[in-house]
Amino acid sequence: MSFTVNLRSVTLEYGAEPALADVDLDLEAGKIYGLLGRNGAGKTSLLSLLAAFRKPTSGEVLVGGEPVWENAPIVSRVALIREGGDFDDTETVKGTIESGQIRPSFDTDYAFALADRFEVPLKKRVNALSRGKRSVLAALCGLAARAELTMFDEVHLGMDAPTRDAFYKELLAEYMDRPHTVILSTHLIDEVANYLEEVVIVDKGRILRHADIETFQGMGATLTGPAAAVDALGLEPLAEQRLGGTKSITVAALDAAARERAAAAGIEVGPVGLQDLFIHLTAPQDRNGA
Amino acid sequence: MPTLANLRLPTRRYALGAGITAEALKYFKYWIAAALVLAFAFPFAVSQWNDITISAWYYAANGGKWFTAFVGGGFLFVLVPNMVATGLTRRELAVSMGIFGVLWSLAIGAIAFAGLLAERAYYGAMGWSHGIDANDAIAPIGSAAETAAFGAHYPLVYLVYFTAGALIGVASYRWEGAGWLLLVPVLPVVFSLDNALYDTEPVGPGWAGFLGGAIGDWGRGLIVALLLVTVAGLAAAAYRILIDIPLRAKKA
Amino acid sequence: MFDDGTPIYRQIADQIKAEIMNGSLEPGGKVMSTNQYAAFYQINPATAQKAFRELVDEGILYKQRGVGMYVADDARDRLAADFRERFFERVLAPLVREARQAGIPLSDIIDYLRDQEGALR
Repeated sequence: MSFTVNLRSVTLEYGAEPALADVDLDLEAGKIYGLLGRNGAGKTSLLSLLAAFRKPTSGEVLVGGEPVWENAPIVSRVALIREGGDFDDTETVKGTIESGQIRPSFDTDYAFALADRFEVPLKKRVNALSRGKRSVLAALCGLAARAELTMFDEVHLGMDAPTRDAFYKELLAEYMDRPHTVILSTHLIDEVANYLEEVVIVDKGRILRHADIETFQGMGATLTGPAAAVDALGLEPLAEQRLGGTKSITVAALDAAARERAAAAGIEVGPVGLQDLFIHLTAPQDRNGA
Repeated sequence: MPTLANLRLPTRRYALGAGITAEALKYFKYWIAAALVLAFAFPFAVSQWNDITISAWYYAANGGKWFTAFVGGGFLFVLVPNMVATGLTRRELAVSMGIFGVLWSLAIGAIAFAGLLAERAYYGAMGWSHGIDANDAIAPIGSAAETAAFGAHYPLVYLVYFTAGALIGVASYRWEGAGWLLLVPVLPVVFSLDNALYDTEPVGPGWAGFLGGAIGDWGRGLIVALLLVTVAGLAAAAYRILIDIPLRAKKA
Repeated sequence: MFDDGTPIYRQIADQIKAEIMNGSLEPGGKVMSTNQYAAFYQINPATAQKAFRELVDEGILYKQRGVGMYVADDARDRLAADFRERFFERVLAPLVREARQAGIPLSDIIDYLRDQEGALR
């Protein structure tokens, strides 16, 4: 039974500054979501609300259809893994893993097997671990929680590329073994894009876009050709570049008709990767069409 | 905590409270053993060239109050982010912490009580006087029954210190840099009641005992009642701070 | 492994089609499961499922409930027709358009193609 997520008019303020402003969001159960946003956009705030790390200033946060705040049957099956983990640093790795047993669903054998595979020494104290190993420990505790809503917030930081790769692989295997809702918050968008089913982009405390990954992948286009021909299409560019008489524009959406017109005019139409699309969608200077 | 394996949701807060107590006692067992050995060895060493008139264990037991306050505060400070991130509700944590406080105070209180009686027998055998430093004079604790009555207050006093520590600990987590200021109202109350109960020199600085002197003749029953009210008040304040505490953001 | 342009599920569908055409997948043969595809290519299983759904809709694959996915008996014929259609649409139509722009008569092109076919034989 994996958890749905519903936010109803949720606002979170730190002092007077709103980190999230009147957010509505619905996530279906059992999918892997990518949560994208620039630093300070509100990703961590959003996840903190879903894990009941914080209480919203106003609005309703539902997980599995129930208010998540102080709800033991729900929060015991929600895991938010933050970069570096929330550990008692003086505890040993073994003790840290065992404290996960506060969750009835925690799979201790699996956690120890992962620790062995990722070479996290059980007898070492957490504060003696390297940043990379610490991230791995946090991630493996998240996997072993066997939660119904599992969220990883920038947990890859400190992991090297092979470790990240192994982590994604394990995450996918665990997900297929036991379908549940997963939210990955990361800056390494292209690295995780293939694992995602839907993408939520947060910007300035609001949900900027929420759609399935194919929508994002088919959404944008780059059009390159003679400046006059490109301009004649009359599209609203997110960004544009000029080199001599050649102009290249990026658009957030290109329908079939426009695509055909562009092809007929000898304009080269290229794809926009999720990472680039994200950069264009959230870049402040491009918002009003530079 | 191996004791936590196969926890069930409705009862995990109780198991956690007991588990933390067991872990804490295990963690500090050498400290406790060291206090015992020192308290019994020190007067023996001093007796070689001086008369022994003062209970050494009394100092160890008083040190235990500070120790207990740090355990209450330190543990809660660490457990808040730890346990909430592991899927425990704040209410559950409050219950676990309450159980920990009571069990810890009983356990350490029992050690203090037993230590005092053992010391009395030890001092009796050695022919030393078993007294405490009270109001600029050394007052003997008294008969075995009086010693037992004197020592019987320890669990309650430890519980007050534990609760005070927990309040400061949770406030320090919630208000980084400012939470410890709660010491200002809490410390005089706890010190005064403690000093009044034992009618002795204050454990802390002299000014902290002023109230203790004033309420010194109120009678044990009233002071015990006040201590219980203080425990309840401190626990209520700590609970209030804990119940909607946000986890701190990760430092970048 | 995947190029940036086309959605991954379409690339997977195309790959399965290519495997059917080149004979590495036999008609009536069993196809790997969604999860096997997902694990092999390290993609979300829903993406693999989308590819399968498309192929089932096109009649290339069929689902045996609780057993798995199989290649339809007439998959190759369907694909051949499909490829033919796509060939005209994607290769010949632009050719005709460009030839017209360049003023090359159609008869020249036909002659050229005949010569090429003779040379290849």
